[in-house]
Amino acid sequence: MSKYLVVFAQAHLEFRVPELESVAQLYNFQISFSDNPDERDPGRPYMIVGLDEEEHARLLAKRCILVKSIYEFYGKGANYEELHICNRSKRTLWERFIPETSFRFFVTSYNHKIPQRRQKEVVESFAYMGFMGKIDMKNPEITLGCFEEYETRNRATRERHEGDGDFLQVYFGRLIEEGSARSLIQLFDVKKRSYFGNTSMEAEISLLMANQTLASPGKLIYDPFMGTGSMAYPVAHFGAQVMGSDIDGRQMRGKGSTPGIFRAASQYGVSSRIVDICTFDVTNNPWRCGELFDAIVTDPPYGVRAGAKRLGRKKELDTSRLALYHEHCTNPRVGDSPYIPPTKPYELSNLAIFAETWGRLVFFLPTVTDEYEEVDIYTMLCEGMEVIANSLQDFGSWGRRLVTIRKVTSEKYPIPDFSSPKTEDEERHVPAHRHFREKYFQGFRKDGEGE
Amino acid sequence: MVRLITHNILACHVKGCTSNNFPLQLQGVQIELREAEFNPEFLKTFLPKIEWKALVDTAKEARDTSLPLEQPEMLDDEFLKNLHHVLLEIHIEEGTMICPNCKHNYPISNGIPNMLLAEHEVG
Ligand SMILES: C[S@@+](CC[C@H](N)C(=O)[O-])C[C@H]1O[C@@H](n2cnc3c(N)ncnc32)[C@H](O)[C@@H]1O
Ligand SMILES: [Zn+2]
Repeated sequence: MSKYLVVFAQAHLEFRVPELESVAQLYNFQISFSDNPDERDPGRPYMIVGLDEEEHARLLAKRCILVKSIYEFYGKGANYEELHICNRSKRTLWERFIPETSFRFFVTSYNHKIPQRRQKEVVESFAYMGFMGKIDMKNPEITLGCFEEYETRNRATRERHEGDGDFLQVYFGRLIEEGSARSLIQLFDVKKRSYFGNTSMEAEISLLMANQTLASPGKLIYDPFMGTGSMAYPVAHFGAQVMGSDIDGRQMRGKGSTPGIFRAASQYGVSSRIVDICTFDVTNNPWRCGELFDAIVTDPPYGVRAGAKRLGRKKELDTSRLALYHEHCTNPRVGDSPYIPPTKPYELSNLAIFAETWGRLVFFLPTVTDEYEEVDIYTMLCEGMEVIANSLQDFGSWGRRLVTIRKVTSEKYPIPDFSSPKTEDEERHVPAHRHFREKYFQGFRKDGEGE
Repeated sequence: MVRLITHNILACHVKGCTSNNFPLQLQGVQIELREAEFNPEFLKTFLPKIEWKALVDTAKEARDTSLPLEQPEMLDDEFLKNLHHVLLEIHIEEGTMICPNCKHNYPISNGIPNMLLAEHEVG
């Protein structure tokens, strides 16, 4: 494997790795992350990954919403001396460009502005590479980039050029591909959409969800809480066919003779990929059998923006469950079956019956930050499912997690019974997302806290 | 625009109605043909999920007899084109789908099927 430098857009840090992994799986290639924690820290704007082919870097840059660009990695260091030692050792990667390749060279930084004078110094410090081709700022055959990473200063604005050169790391490499998927955020902008509502999901998140489903031509993907169809458009844009349903037909139709969802889909040129939209309660659904869909993507109702009732009381885990949970936390059994607490699965996981084996379930789970435990996600699984991504979008006292679950068993699940109330015994671990609506409107006060 | 692909995966789900509840019969339907992009990859992966006889019979009601009575083993281009047309280009815009067993009516209006049940019909 060769090393590549991924330059991220500064958004949704926890979604970066899951997105890279999903797109790699979609195109069926391997991506490896460094053993060095600094190099795989998703909170940093630069990450070094391993890929077998340059083409794979191009595929990632064309499809990942969070990727700004990808470079062939030549070197890094805590200072320029270290960087140059590393870059010299990688000579075999760049010597073929020495004789006559035209090139552009730029120096830039994250969280800082480097004065012109020092930019020039930096460029000159690479003179030993001895490139003889002509410098071409407009249309070069190759682009070489040098990136200084400065510490994020929480809110404190830096004086102009203050602390210049005092960076954490500097990286250097050759541009393989500028990310082009980020422009889709503009294309799918909800405000420019001919049909949307107050439940519509912002474009960037809908696109990230679409990538988590591995949407591509040949697939049929289902949103059982479709509302105004926010996820349907990017999923269809990536070539998949979409099926949607909602208990409330007005959400999907809006006003006007053509249903709103088809109006919006036409705007994106994908209306023929919206197979159908149906009105029904998914907990009482008319699908003829299970396993009809390649993936399910949805923003289920939790009562914050759309009505839904949940029952349940806050309870503690019992000792045996607690032991399992601690074992899971300290020793997650990689490759082994996931930790499955002996609860009746949470209703949402029942949606898995509609998914193919290896099919994915991609959904949002609102959580109260102080109360969330990883076990909350695991209580939702039933046998034969594994969590492959769990990324928090943090709003402070609450957040929502984009969870991706994969169905790993080819065994058929029984038709779910969404209706039967759980008994006390079956429901000892009450996940923190219970009562989400009540907590949301109370501003997430803890018990006993005053008004 | 209930397409025949959707019709082929919907069954009556009234409480207790578990046999002879598929395919839903069409009544008073208004059909429209609308072109869709040809996607052979999708057709091939979806094919095993189709209830073939139901599809052939329903296509006949929509005056399309292009599909063979048995699913062929060789998926040639002509077959896939016909399948594409039947599954994805025939749209039921208005009308009713009726359960052959319990006679429940599922209305289709403006292309959207209403599969909601009344409270007493829910299992
Ligand atoms: C959070 S919204 C999803 C919004 C959607 N992603 C959009 O782009 O507008 C949840 C939706 O679930 C629907 N819903 C609530 N309970 C339902 C049920 N039991 N079956 C089907 N849909 C339901 C609501 O009508 C609402 O449109
Ligand atoms: Zn029936």
